[in-house]
Formats: sequence, C-alpha cells, structure tokens
Amino acid sequence: MLCEKCKKNEATFYYHENVNGNEKNYRLCADCANELEKSGELKTWKESVEDPFAGFGKLFTTPFKQMDKLFSGLFGAPALTGGQAKSQKQCSCGMTLRDLLDGGMAGCPDCYTTFEEELEPTVRRIHGRSSHEGRIPAKFRGKMDTKKKIEQLEKERAEAVRLENYEKAAEIRDQLNELRKTLEEGA
Amino acid sequence: MWYGTKGNDSDVAISTRVRIARNLAGYPFGDRLDDAKKKEIIEKIDKAFKGKEWKYTDMSSLTEAQRQSLADRHLISREFAGCPAGTQLIQNKDQDVNVMVLEEDHVRIQSIVPGFDIRSAMEKAEAAEAKLDEACDIAYSEKYGYITHCPTNLGTGIRISVMLHLPAYTRAGGIKALALQLAKLGLTIRGADGEGSDPSGNIYQISNQVTLGVTEDELVERLSNVVGNIIKEERSFHEKAGEEFRSDLRENARRNFGILMFSERISSREITDMYSTLRLAASSGLIKLPQEKLDELLVRSMPSTVEAEHKGVTTPEARDRARAELAREILGESAI
Ligand SMILES: [Zn+2]
Ligand SMILES: [Zn+2]
Repeated sequence: MLCEKCKKNEATFYYHENVNGNEKNYRLCADCANELEKSGELKTWKESVEDPFAGFGKLFTTPFKQMDKLFSGLFGAPALTGGQAKSQKQCSCGMTLRDLLDGGMAGCPDCYTTFEEELEPTVRRIHGRSSHEGRIPAKFRGKMDTKKKIEQLEKERAEAVRLENYEKAAEIRDQLNELRKTLEEGA
Repeated sequence: MWYGTKGNDSDVAISTRVRIARNLAGYPFGDRLDDAKKKEIIEKIDKAFKGKEWKYTDMSSLTEAQRQSLADRHLISREFAGCPAGTQLIQNKDQDVNVMVLEEDHVRIQSIVPGFDIRSAMEKAEAAEAKLDEACDIAYSEKYGYITHCPTNLGTGIRISVMLHLPAYTRAGGIKALALQLAKLGLTIRGADGEGSDPSGNIYQISNQVTLGVTEDELVERLSNVVGNIIKEERSFHEKAGEEFRSDLRENARRNFGILMFSERISSREITDMYSTLRLAASSGLIKLPQEKLDELLVRSMPSTVEAEHKGVTTPEARDRARAELAREILGESAI
C-alpha cells in the first residue's frame, strides 16, 4: 500500500494513536513519518506508550535518530567501570579489583564476597537491583530455616525468663545450643 | 526432538527455551581452571545425572559439523560448540534437556520445547537443576543469589527465551520500538542466533536481560504476558492484511513450494527466505503446510546439520543437493 501523505512511496510504518478515545491511524513511508515526527504532528511513540504492558498495540511509528544509539546499547553486557579502582584488595583466586573491572568477569565465586561493595554499582547498573530474590539452594535453605528457628527460640527464652519460668528457659537454652552446633557444623 | 512437533501458538511461536547457569562452590572460573580441576568438576556433575536416561558426550569426540549442528538445532550454545576441549555434554533421551558442562559457567542446563510454552520448558530445566542441587555444593551468596562467572547472570541465573516468527512486525518497522519497550521491562530482543546476529527469516528471540532481584515466578509471569501480547499483535496483522497482499503472498508461497518440491539444489539462504514466506502464508490460512514441518526444514537445512546427517556430504554443492532431497522428505506428503 502507498503512503497516505505523499502517495508515492510504499507505506512501511503504521502508526496508531488513541487519545481519550479519539483514534487515529496513519500508514506512511519512512520519509513522511520522519518529517511529521519532526514537525510535531505525530506524537512520538514515547508519549503514546506510557504503560508498557498495554502499549503493544501502539508501537508502530517511525524510528527516530537517537533510537539507533539506544538500540546498540541494549546488546552486549554493560562494561564494568569503577571509580574505586584504587583498592589493592586481592581475592584468594588471584583476582585484583583492577583486573575484575577491566575484564568484567569474576575469577571465582569468592570474588563476589571479596569485592562485594565495589561490585555493587556495576551489578545495580546491569540489573537495576543489587540483591537476590527467589529460590535458594537446598543446603542454604536448611541454614536459613535454622537461623529463623534460633531467632524464634531466643524470643521464647527471653519470655520464659521474664515469667521466671527458669525450668523452661533452661530447656530452650539446650535446644538453642543444639541448633547453633548444627549451624556451625554445616558451615 | 522439539522441531517437527506441534506446540502452542505455533502460528507465531517456534520454540521456548530455558537456560539455568550454576557453578560449584570452591572452584574458580574459566582460565583459572586447570585440567585436574576441570576433571573434578566433570566427575561431580556426572554424579548428579546418573541413570540410563542420561547420555554423556565428550565434546572433543565430535566433528566440527556435529558440534555446530547441535548449536544449529538450539540444543547447545554457539560458544559451547566452538570450544570442545575438556568439556562435556549431558543429554536426556528426548534431547529436550541438554546440560553443558564447563561452558562459560561450570554448568548450564538448557531445556527446549516447541511453540510458546514457558511452563513446560521451566519444569524440565528445574527438574534437572534439582538433581544438581541435591548432588553438588552450589556457589551461592545471600546478596547476589546464584553466583555466575559473568555478573550479567547473577541472581536466579535463569534466562527464558521464546523464539518467534515476526514477519508482519518486521515489515511494519516495529522491531526497534519493541526493543526499546522490552528494555524498560528488563527484556531483550535478538536475532535467532543470539547476540548481534542477523534476524534472517524474520526470526527473533525474546528473553530476559535481568536475572537479579526478580523471582522465578515473576520472571515467568512477565515474559508470559509480554510474549503473549506480541503473539496476539503479530496475529492481528495476519488477520488484517488486505486482499491484494494476501493474493501476492499466496502466489509467492505456491511458487516457493514448487521450488522446494522440484529443485535438485537448494542453498541454505534460499531456505531461510522461502521459510518466512511459506510460514506467513500458512499462518494466514492461505496454504495448508504445517508450521512445525517448516521449522523442521529450516533447522535441518543448516549447513552443519546437513553435513552431520548425511555421510560424505562436505562440499557446498553436495549440501545443496542433500537439502533439496530433505525438503521433499519433510514436506513431500503435504499438499498445499
Ligand atoms: Zn510518504
Ligand atoms: Zn576470586
């Protein structure tokens, strides 16, 4: 189909807009779409897609100039950069902070503990967040459960002491010692 | 095998993949691993995948064509196919779960199913991951979650990737805008063969870029919603296409089918181009070819796969002849 404006070129851009129930459709060639966008007659896609989940019906419009730049930035891992590269810290695997920041890859799992603080801004830039949500390995699940149990029992023991129920408090103390031992053995 | 099997939303969706990255605690990454440590890692991971259903392959025992064919068929990564020294592949019987040992991470579990089916791809990958979790001491930190060689995979270590055929989106010039929207949601769109690859055949992969700070369930929900919307959008274009376009498309598809049925030699580039026309015509109800057969043809037409499946076929001309036969083998029973 031909462009609705110049009626010369093949229409390759479909633009759909819905402002307060007022629907508009355009089928345009790349040149006309670019021109209209520059003149401000076409609202840019940015304005028409406020809600990303709802926006899929409205995203056909001309790609404008800066898009290429933004687009290329999406591919590949963002490089690690750091203003704190002054540290002389070294991981047990031999990795230094400078090597880590230059190479962008950890040397061993411990690197993330050794350089936890220095890596935080990079991790945040990549993921938008810097702490894990979601599943944990079975071994750590047991550990987390034990930690929670210990917290709970400590509260109960304090309560027993407050009520001067020393027999019960002693019982809980024995349980706590047992749990702390398993936690240490597991680690 | 995932290709040749009909999946959900197969008019637009080709396949769904889930990849889970895991590492063993106490072992360094990449170059810092010597041969002795690599052997230890392989032995530990073998223990997790015991039993008749798992097949072990030393990657260096395969030919270049066999390795590249595994990547062509999306069973392993291109990187893993390229560096076979001291690495191992563990596959289940159906080859829909493939475990790459000593890829970029110590372990990468990859599952693949036909069509748009995040749930079953997740189930398969997670079942294999549970075996690993049971048998091995996995590197994990309370702050960063599952530890990975590259910080881009930290957190869940999970990458879900849905492969779609988007000819109408592409024609409408919508891919770049889509890429920008996806980026806001921590998602990304790429060509079929991963980072920076050319989206030939109008095939794209949509996957999550972000792996940290999002739970597995949130990730599944987000991708299910977004990909579901993209599929609907592409489908609505097929439905809205004008009569002139449909008539041209049907004519092109019929001519292409003629080439596939009667040629003696077909190049892999020709297959890619014809694939997109035929698939769109099939999805628009203009011809009767099953999409999964077209997907099978595309995947098995890749040069390495043609070579790996046909003994003695090594020259481009021999491959082109084998490919023409393959087209008739896969589509010969179909009438359009
Ligand atoms: Zn025009
Ligand atoms: Zn280290």
